[in-house]
Amino acid sequence: MSRIGVFVCWCGSNIASTVDVEKVREEAAKIPGVVSAVDYKYMCSDPGQNSLRNVIKEKNLTGVVLAACSPHMHENTFRKAAVKEGLNPYFVEIANIREQVSWVHEDKERATAKAVDLMKMMVEKVKRDKPIEDVRVPLNKKALVIGGGISGIQAALDIANGGVEVILVEKEPSIGGRMIQLDETFPTLDCSSCIMTPKMVEVNQHPNIKLYTYSEIEDVSGYIGNFKVKIKKKARSVVEKDCTGCGECWNACPMHKNVKSEFNINLSERTAIYVPFPQAVPLVPVLDRSVCLHFKKGGKCQKCFDACGPKCIDFSMQDEIIEETVGAIVAATGYDLMETSMYGEYGYGKYKDVVSGLQFERLLSASGPTEGVIKRPSDGKTPQTIVFVQCVGSRDPEKGVPYCSKVCCMYTAKHAKLFAHKVHGSQSYVFYIDIRATSKGYEEFVRGTMEQDGAVYLRGRVSKIYEDNGKLIVKGADTLSGNQVEIAADMVVLATGVIPKKGSDKLAQMLGISYDKYGFLTESHPKLRPAESSTAGIFLAGMAQGPRDIPESVVSGSAAASKILGLFSKSEYEVEGTISSVNEATCVACFYCQRVCAYNAISRKEIKDRNGNVVKVVANVNPGLCTGCGACVNACFSKSIDVKGFMDDQIYAEIKSLAV
Amino acid sequence: MANTKTDEKLQKIAKDLLESGEVNLIIGYTKGSNPQRMRPVFITKPEEAEKLSFSHNAVQDLAVFLKKQEVKKFGKIGITVKGCDEKAVNALIQEYQLSRDNIKIIGMQCNGVIKQNLADKGETKVSETTVYDKCLICQEHTPVLYDFLVETEEPELSLSGNVKPYAEIEKLDALSTEEKNAYWAKEFDKCIKCYACRQACPLCFCSRCIVEKNMPQWIDTNSEEPGNAQWNLIRAYHLSGRCIGCGECERACPVNIPLMLINEKMARDVYNLFGYKSGLDINAKPVFGVFSESDFNDFIK
Repeated sequence: MSRIGVFVCWCGSNIASTVDVEKVREEAAKIPGVVSAVDYKYMCSDPGQNSLRNVIKEKNLTGVVLAACSPHMHENTFRKAAVKEGLNPYFVEIANIREQVSWVHEDKERATAKAVDLMKMMVEKVKRDKPIEDVRVPLNKKALVIGGGISGIQAALDIANGGVEVILVEKEPSIGGRMIQLDETFPTLDCSSCIMTPKMVEVNQHPNIKLYTYSEIEDVSGYIGNFKVKIKKKARSVVEKDCTGCGECWNACPMHKNVKSEFNINLSERTAIYVPFPQAVPLVPVLDRSVCLHFKKGGKCQKCFDACGPKCIDFSMQDEIIEETVGAIVAATGYDLMETSMYGEYGYGKYKDVVSGLQFERLLSASGPTEGVIKRPSDGKTPQTIVFVQCVGSRDPEKGVPYCSKVCCMYTAKHAKLFAHKVHGSQSYVFYIDIRATSKGYEEFVRGTMEQDGAVYLRGRVSKIYEDNGKLIVKGADTLSGNQVEIAADMVVLATGVIPKKGSDKLAQMLGISYDKYGFLTESHPKLRPAESSTAGIFLAGMAQGPRDIPESVVSGSAAASKILGLFSKSEYEVEGTISSVNEATCVACFYCQRVCAYNAISRKEIKDRNGNVVKVVANVNPGLCTGCGACVNACFSKSIDVKGFMDDQIYAEIKSLAV
Repeated sequence: MANTKTDEKLQKIAKDLLESGEVNLIIGYTKGSNPQRMRPVFITKPEEAEKLSFSHNAVQDLAVFLKKQEVKKFGKIGITVKGCDEKAVNALIQEYQLSRDNIKIIGMQCNGVIKQNLADKGETKVSETTVYDKCLICQEHTPVLYDFLVETEEPELSLSGNVKPYAEIEKLDALSTEEKNAYWAKEFDKCIKCYACRQACPLCFCSRCIVEKNMPQWIDTNSEEPGNAQWNLIRAYHLSGRCIGCGECERACPVNIPLMLINEKMARDVYNLFGYKSGLDINAKPVFGVFSESDFNDFIK
């Protein structure tokens, strides 16, 4: 016989102001099987929980119903309290009379009636609850980090330093990501490569890190603790273990005029066999077969091969598929800059001296195409006047994206500052909408650019840029003075908006994690679970989640790493026991459940007799993958699959409890 | 009665299959004691192949037997099917109830089967007024998939357009919701819950039907409302996107509920909304087992 306790929470006035909690309690007391009904101001408080525990003990309860807030908030709190009194945690049910009643209704009488109904349903449900054991999944204590930018590097290093093996996969020939393309970094102006390269080298030398560059994720299957990953190691045409990085090959390559350098964003050329930049890690070149004469002209050219001392050029190298099993994954896929072609009026691509912020970084960089001397692309002259345009694409729902790219205010201030430092007597103008400089030292930095370095900040947008007599004429509005302004500039730098890395949506689909409408990977909870993806065992880091600066990217990499180290500190991972189970007696193996399962949790199971003959095939649920979403339950014609804790008879009893 | 050419060819195929051991059982039609009716026959010996026959009286969908345990135990099976029935074979393969490797399909070209009530009265001519509605909309006079094909000797079915198949559907569509409810309430009121519709259906293959689930009992079992409507509606939903339109449920119904109006309406809706027709491709994914981003979502407000 059921002995149910019902606890009605006021949630201060959150519930009590809209729901007659005493009436809910009175109605609860009338239900057969309910042996105790109380109401209390804050059930989640220590006294509230203690009273819950006391009633369980005194009345020897077999089940508990809390008419309170969303199970998302306090289900765990109450389950833990019940477990302390010896109840199975799944004998605690929550009737959500806050989010589903008091917060969304005004009419007290009807809200109370609804609260009573929800409470009644849960009483009928808890009467039919069966004890559920949580599922324990073994963990392969190895992590995969996708993306070798600063956040991926940070995650990999932190995990590796925690004593866990890491596989770091980078699509490009070198790790370093976007950060290694930058010159000096705000707000302290330390040189990006000076602080980045030691980390890159550390990755390469770390005994716990296995690095795959020029490689892509081909396929991911499995679940937390047991992900099967296929990595495609693209044919580099250079044997990594033998290469010394001496450079004889790329010096010998005849293709040095026509191929634009991706690393320098088309501001310089590279050879067909190349390292993207001198500090590349690993310092092993890649042969770009799409432009190499050997591949284009039937094998005649082999100058690099001839020049190579250790003979490590291998024209016949094939793509290689490497399979790894890992327990957790970090997605740190980074970002791209938005195309600015929709801003025809800014002339990007039309006028050589209109460049993007990232291109300007390369012009500032000592390892860049101009070796750190600012020269404009059109004629190599040093510009005296530069106009910086902020929010190109960002904060522009009409043409670009509605969100703020976050880093542009700061890097534009940095650009203007470095320009003033490098070209004395020069003048910069910055068109901005707002200045967003909210981190430590940021506001002071921007102030410095304005006050010490003399950058003129104009609040307004640029309407047109055109060339006239060797100058770029920038027309815009200064909304503070109310004047139209026209500036004759030598160069224009567009602070183009940040978008997710191309192809990150495909990767997200492969990983089974969610992303927002822009393609940024979404967190399990935007505030409280910012490092976790929607899928257990997959974590997020860096700009792949949305615009952020270097310190934040580093923090997010470390956060993902600490989550993984925490996960791996246990021998097994516990999954909630509310997962699907198949009635093997009635299952006819039509596998609609398998078709509709979004988590690949259902497989075929053969039932054999004692002689080993297959007598029946049925559906089988993998507890590591099943999330208990219930899609399979809806798909099953014969009702042969149920989610534990949400069994057919419970749902039926809940509905029946509403019948008048 | 002398064998027709069709019968000779059919018997030869069956004999060869059994002799070579490619199949252990052939499900086919044989002449009934009533010359205007054909009945199913199960043949396991080559010498019995001469019993096989086929004509415009071969009304039953023999695919229904493929779901039976007694038949399944034979392993490799040959089956005689019309184009409509063959779609049921395909659907069973799609839903993993049958392996393509275990079935030899003897496809019978068919230009329509004569309604049994007319045949009983002596009708012997295939015409648009004598065949079932499903024959009038048939696109598969030659089965879409077969291992052997037996050509028909019947003349092609000529359609004047004067006979509208499933004409009631348009009439019902034009009614108000209340009128439709009234129409179906009257029809379902006749239901005696004999489940003949289910037993005759080649795609009702669950070993335990949802009506037989009694903890809890979702569907009332007595033959009264609301259980009658519950049963007929849930059957309609379980068959939507799956029914291949053989019409056996309606033919089996002892109280003449026009079940094919429901099935055909559902099939049309599924085709209009998802562009899917059941049983045409053994490699196609059943429509309600897939999600596509292009699926209509007007119902989300």
